[in-house]
Amino acid sequence: MTMTLPAVGASPATETLSFIGAITRALVEEMARDERVVTFGEDVGARGGVFLATAGLQSRFGPKRVLDTPLCEGGIIGMAVGMAVRGLRPVAEIQFADYIFPGFDQIVSQAAKLRYRSGGQFTAPIVIRTPSGGGVRGGHHHSQSPEALFVHTPGLKVVMPSTPQDALGLLKAAIRDEDPVLFFEPKRLYRSVKAEVPTGNDLVVPIGKAVTRREGRDLTLVSYGATMIDTLRAADALAESGVQAEVIDLRSLAPWDEEAVLASVARTGRLVVIAEAPRACSVASEVAATVAELALDVLQAPPARVTGYDTPYPYAFDKEYLPGVNRILTAAQRVLDY
Amino acid sequence: MHKTFTDDPIRLVGEDGRKIGRWGLDLSETLLRDIYRDMVRARVLDEKLVMLLRQGKTSFYAQCSGQEGVQVGAAYAINRGQDWVYPYYRDQGLALALGVPVLELIGQSLGKMADPNKARQMPQHFGSVERHVVTVSSSIASQVPPAAGTAIAQKLLGLREMTLVTFGDGATSEGDWHAGLNFGGVYGAPIVYLCENNSYAISVGYRGQTAARTVAQKAQAYGMPGYRVDGQDALAVYSVVKEAADRARDGGGPSLVEALTYRYGSHSSSDDDSVYRSREEVAKWRARDPIMHYAQFLRLEGLADEAWEGAVRAEAVTEIDAAAVSAEAAPSAPIESLFEDVYAELTPTLRGQLERARIEARQRAGDPGRRA
Repeated sequence: MTMTLPAVGASPATETLSFIGAITRALVEEMARDERVVTFGEDVGARGGVFLATAGLQSRFGPKRVLDTPLCEGGIIGMAVGMAVRGLRPVAEIQFADYIFPGFDQIVSQAAKLRYRSGGQFTAPIVIRTPSGGGVRGGHHHSQSPEALFVHTPGLKVVMPSTPQDALGLLKAAIRDEDPVLFFEPKRLYRSVKAEVPTGNDLVVPIGKAVTRREGRDLTLVSYGATMIDTLRAADALAESGVQAEVIDLRSLAPWDEEAVLASVARTGRLVVIAEAPRACSVASEVAATVAELALDVLQAPPARVTGYDTPYPYAFDKEYLPGVNRILTAAQRVLDY
Repeated sequence: MHKTFTDDPIRLVGEDGRKIGRWGLDLSETLLRDIYRDMVRARVLDEKLVMLLRQGKTSFYAQCSGQEGVQVGAAYAINRGQDWVYPYYRDQGLALALGVPVLELIGQSLGKMADPNKARQMPQHFGSVERHVVTVSSSIASQVPPAAGTAIAQKLLGLREMTLVTFGDGATSEGDWHAGLNFGGVYGAPIVYLCENNSYAISVGYRGQTAARTVAQKAQAYGMPGYRVDGQDALAVYSVVKEAADRARDGGGPSLVEALTYRYGSHSSSDDDSVYRSREEVAKWRARDPIMHYAQFLRLEGLADEAWEGAVRAEAVTEIDAAAVSAEAAPSAPIESLFEDVYAELTPTLRGQLERARIEARQRAGDPGRRA
């Protein structure tokens, strides 16, 4: 048997990771690192979850650390809070974000407020992982993007990665975080995006920091989650016509990186925010409002939002509902022509 | 072993204060007297907080008077300070008997920093990590699934502990109550679910909550034993909860205990109970007062007399008056406390909001007549 050792100074070894593979790897690494980490949810055990995020975990870590639960989101999230109170680091899976609402009171009244209401005596360092977003012909109960409801709740952290590397690094950060984290996984990226990710490294991505995916001086495009894909495509199309768009991936929605967005807008003077959630009181609205409030003097055009419509998620209109390249380009043109 | 699913509530002491049947309890004289002392302390604390409310020093109060037998009996039935407790908002007697200092309880109600919960909630939402008493949330039954989670963790970690969670009869209608019992049952968690059934959820009576004859019988559906106990008989509550708690700690799984009791006061200071219940009914329950009933038992056992009872009450009044004075003198929360403990660390946004709030607080302090 021969072993190949990397030469000194060579780039580290990488592996090809899908988005879902990154989730699994983060869980494996964190469960191996910290025996207080447990994970559970509906079909999470032997089945490995309906999307297979926890595939193989129960045989590796045993049924005391990877548990199937009754079909009850309030019970799952309440169980996570109570386990955290007694010193575990629970990662709860809610099968679809569309089904998180029976657990809403446990998130809002218990997880989000435990630290505050007890003066810091009790805390709920839990992670709630849940697939969200459309584009999978799932109709309105398998496609929603309810992140704004949680961003609106003080005491919660909310993240939504758009790449395998960020899925890995942000989930690891979320598990290590001392506060409850809602971890939204854009399900249409699960197997549609892949990336070369370094192996053997402790790749933690800090919560609260945006990343610039593309630099440009003419226009700032801010997005997160699955709409990052079409946002980057739109930026490519703009580049073909000579417009250099700067593209920011928020990654964290609560807290979100105001500084990074304001710094970019200070350079470009133009902002388009793209997200597939409905518009009213959305993350896109919050970003646009903050920029309008704090950076009006540098803006050369009103900020624009490209979002899902204020309708229930439609079964028959995936393409029409989601922002998409054409709607992003139309908004960008409007902002550029103002 | 107590009988499960009885129609008549389990009693250990008769209306006349005499022991009923074969006596299985072996409690020291000190412990028997301590139970009495804590019931009296709870009653005096209740009176004090009503007084502080009338003086305009608090905003709200919900009395525990009438429920001391359940609360103190249950507290003594568990390993206090080791087992974990998720109380509900009327459990001042439980908190006291678990060793939460009176100063903290009054400080909490006054919104002072004498309370480790830092004045973040309305009166009587106490909690103490030192005593393993998880801070109360107003949201009815929302403590039940987390309590099950704590018990499941105790089982997974192999700890020799159990969890006690309490709630009223109204809570049994909530979805979270079902979730909490079902999870405890499925995982065989070391937990005792204790219903302080005082017959009213604000104004709606027991029959308005459920068509089930008893709360205890619901245990059957979750695969656990259910007990119905006389909540005005502190020793009956003690005995039933102790059996269930010991079994839970020994790996025997969860139990549901329904204690029949009554609140003498309205639901809270914002409620008028004369609209929905008769004075005769209140008088009937007052005649079954848990403290009076227990004193009668102690007297027959030769452990109490009028002089001793008077001394216990006088001591409680002195203790609680002194604690109230200290609590009133304790500092109020600083403006920073408004923003702390939302997260482990202030976020950039909250740091900005704190700066703004500090400026506004200074402006108000400098010019009290002006609106900042």
